[in-house]
Amino acid sequence: MSPAAPDPAALDAFVEQFVVAVDFQNPVPVAGDTRLADLPEWDSLAALGVIVMCDTEYGVTITGNDLKNCVTVGDILARVHAKKGG
Amino acid sequence: MAMVTLSNVRMRGLVCCVPRSTISNLDCPEEKKGERERLVRNIGIHTRRICYPWQYFSDLAKSAAETLLDAVGWKREEIDALIVVTQSPDYPIPSTAIILQDRMKLPTTTIAYDINLGCSGYPFGIYTVGSMLASGGIRKALLLVGDKCANLADPLFSDCGTATALEFDPSAPPIHFDLNSDGLGYRAIILPVGGHREPTQIHHLIPRKDADGETRRDTDLVLDGTAVLNFSTQRIPPALRALCDYAQTPLEQVDYIVLHQANRMINETIRKKLQLAPERVPSTLYDFGNTSSASVPLTMTARLRERLSAGPATLLLSGFGIGLSWGSCVLRTESLVMPGLVEV
Repeated sequence: MSPAAPDPAALDAFVEQFVVAVDFQNPVPVAGDTRLADLPEWDSLAALGVIVMCDTEYGVTITGNDLKNCVTVGDILARVHAKKGG
Repeated sequence: MAMVTLSNVRMRGLVCCVPRSTISNLDCPEEKKGERERLVRNIGIHTRRICYPWQYFSDLAKSAAETLLDAVGWKREEIDALIVVTQSPDYPIPSTAIILQDRMKLPTTTIAYDINLGCSGYPFGIYTVGSMLASGGIRKALLLVGDKCANLADPLFSDCGTATALEFDPSAPPIHFDLNSDGLGYRAIILPVGGHREPTQIHHLIPRKDADGETRRDTDLVLDGTAVLNFSTQRIPPALRALCDYAQTPLEQVDYIVLHQANRMINETIRKKLQLAPERVPSTLYDFGNTSSASVPLTMTARLRERLSAGPATLLLSGFGIGLSWGSCVLRTESLVMPGLVEV
């Protein structure tokens, strides 16, 4: 989804915030290429947490449709960057 | 219209009534405990109140109103208007307000009708009743606000009925309002079936699994969580700042900001965007859940009763949700009559 490879440090920071936002019950390995559909807690509650995180940490409004079009965790960061104009 | 000021209107007192029956979002099979704890952590709602099978919103509102009338010392024949804000009427028609006029033994000269609003309803109700009072044509009015919206399966909603006494008083400080509507978002919170456009038919009653694996019927409330979250967290912070500017009351001079209790994620995001300390933004989510239009007066009652009944306070009240609609008001209260939470 992203035309350019994301900055690894930015992706690491995003993944860390993503994990907090989803609030996993048990630790799960997550990386930029982790598929959202493979995560046990990728549900409507997780979506709300991620939208709040994108808003408060990145100042970007991500919609439910944006998330539906994302396949991996990294796709969400790409969407954030695209909406931010960078 | 957006911003408007009403003079000559005083909020005299307030009573909220909830069912005694309490349910916990952690009451679930052992294997679902972890999932439920995660839910409670994130939406911030632990216990909710739910009507007994024989109770309805109008019963809660009536109990609240009768307790309030006794507390403020108003006679029934003095009540000029009884306005109900609810989406849980006793019947689709006629208005619950008119039924309550008789059940409460108010005079037939009472103006009584319903307003169809949910979570945003309290400021809109104060504005409607306040507009009736401001000219002095009527002197005393009751505003009954709330809903019967709890069910066992949904972890958000909780039942409550409230009564607010408003009166004509030329010495009352002005009340400033900001009231808005955006019908483009009407599908974000909707009961899509049961009205004239989509009458209930047998196939609507068949339970099906939704995307989250929850069993639903077409007659259940549809709530687009991400749309409501974005609407609330994008619209409300700038709206509250704009109202404070209009009211010439800096946000720092407001004693308490009482928000509709939607869920923890929405309310905390709004609070942080406005850079408000938690003690100025009271919450009843954990104990009472989302009580729709009753959540603002319920939070005033359950968290601020001692403070508001002891002396003056400047409040910023804000409701937001179904419609979509959002309304807020800045008002100065002076020793509100608040006898306390009623449980029936």
